[in-house]
Amino acid sequence: MDIGTIVAGLLTLAVFSFLYRDNPVYKAAESWLIGLSIGYALVIFWQTTIIDLLLGPLFTESRYILIIPLILGLMMFSRFSKSISWLSRIPIALMIGAGAGVAIPAMLYARTLKQMSASVMPMIENGSFRIEAIVVVVGVISTLAYFYFSREHRGFTGATAKLGTYFLMIFFGATFGYTVMSRMSTFIGRVDFLLTDFLHLIK
Amino acid sequence: MDRLKTRWLIFSGLAVVVVAAYLINIKFKTEPSPATMKAYEFIETLPESSVVMFSFDHEASSLPEIQPLALALLRHAFKNDLKIIGLSLFAEGTAIGYDLMTETAAEYDKQYGVDYVFLGFKPQYISAILGMGESIRRVFPEDYLGNPTDNAPIMSGVDSYDDITMVVSIADGDRTVYWVEYAGARYGQEVMAGLTAAMITSYDPYLSSEQLYAVVGGLRGAAEYENLLDQRGGGARGMLAQSAAHLYIIALVVTGNIIYFRNRRRRGGK
Repeated sequence: MDIGTIVAGLLTLAVFSFLYRDNPVYKAAESWLIGLSIGYALVIFWQTTIIDLLLGPLFTESRYILIIPLILGLMMFSRFSKSISWLSRIPIALMIGAGAGVAIPAMLYARTLKQMSASVMPMIENGSFRIEAIVVVVGVISTLAYFYFSREHRGFTGATAKLGTYFLMIFFGATFGYTVMSRMSTFIGRVDFLLTDFLHLIK
Repeated sequence: MDRLKTRWLIFSGLAVVVVAAYLINIKFKTEPSPATMKAYEFIETLPESSVVMFSFDHEASSLPEIQPLALALLRHAFKNDLKIIGLSLFAEGTAIGYDLMTETAAEYDKQYGVDYVFLGFKPQYISAILGMGESIRRVFPEDYLGNPTDNAPIMSGVDSYDDITMVVSIADGDRTVYWVEYAGARYGQEVMAGLTAAMITSYDPYLSSEQLYAVVGGLRGAAEYENLLDQRGGGARGMLAQSAAHLYIIALVVTGNIIYFRNRRRRGGK
């Protein structure tokens, strides 16, 4: 058995020990996980961003235009000083402006326009009636009514909004069910590892 | 019974159920869902040497769920002699993605650089996705191992989404949405996803509006895919334990409700 499997097996058991109660072994495993995750991400980001995209091209390829993003990046650190913290607003403004410019058309298309067109279905297709078309229309309208606050939720608006809550509950229920399934899968995955790779109880 | 003891009993019960289900080891056949079937049929009908891009957009903590479905999809692609370009838009997915690809490639005697390549991680996922629509080489001038991307035979004639048949995003969060919104909506790239079960409902609107081609979801999705491949992997092995754990949870919910209503009646109906 290689050292990686032994370490992974012992750390898995250390994390599971929390199910009994909080203890130093669990705390050590938790700290290792956080430390390793941050350390790994830091090294990856340092190499792929600072070295590959900035320092490398700037000094080896003499791409002096990169001095501009370097200065903008350094401006972000001005937040540590009260007197010059206003400088950080310039790169933040640039990021928000560029980010919004790129994101708004794409999000508007994918999250609004395409969803709206998908909500409009033919009620009769190939001679047969499609019940899901009615469900989708009723679901969309009633759920939107629930989030419509310009009119008091009484009478017809109130009844429609109430119906919307049932659609929302179905969504939350399905999401919760899938989340439980997901967490169980994670647990099962670790049990699989312990029984096959670590303890060799099953092949 | 104090709370700590109750919690300990519940967790111990779950552990016993899952371990027992594993040791019994009954073969569990899972019928494929339409979404899994669609993903399978797409890869199955692709001509040999078609280029598929796998993006490992997940954290290390979701590996137990991600690994079986990523392996099933990779095995299918390698089995059908497709060319695979791997990358990661999530730092933690980088080494995992590389390991999964090399491990699967070895099973099918595939050669690095010829049959598959791993381009590594790129920060700023939106600009990376948009950039690859213009030139993959410009976004990834070097692969994960530091070799120039141009030198890899697999990359000859491949430089943008025009040359990629499908992007498969293996994700545990919202990265697949960005593939759909930027590669899909802007460049017309087909995107399918291998997702953790917790994310399935979040992606249903994209699947229903046909912005996402197909979804293979969670351990169940992995088991369905393995069934279609006629292979027994982590998904199929875990399905009996998954079902047993679900029955155990249902039993706990029912028992909890019985206790709650019984106590309420004792207190006088309030």
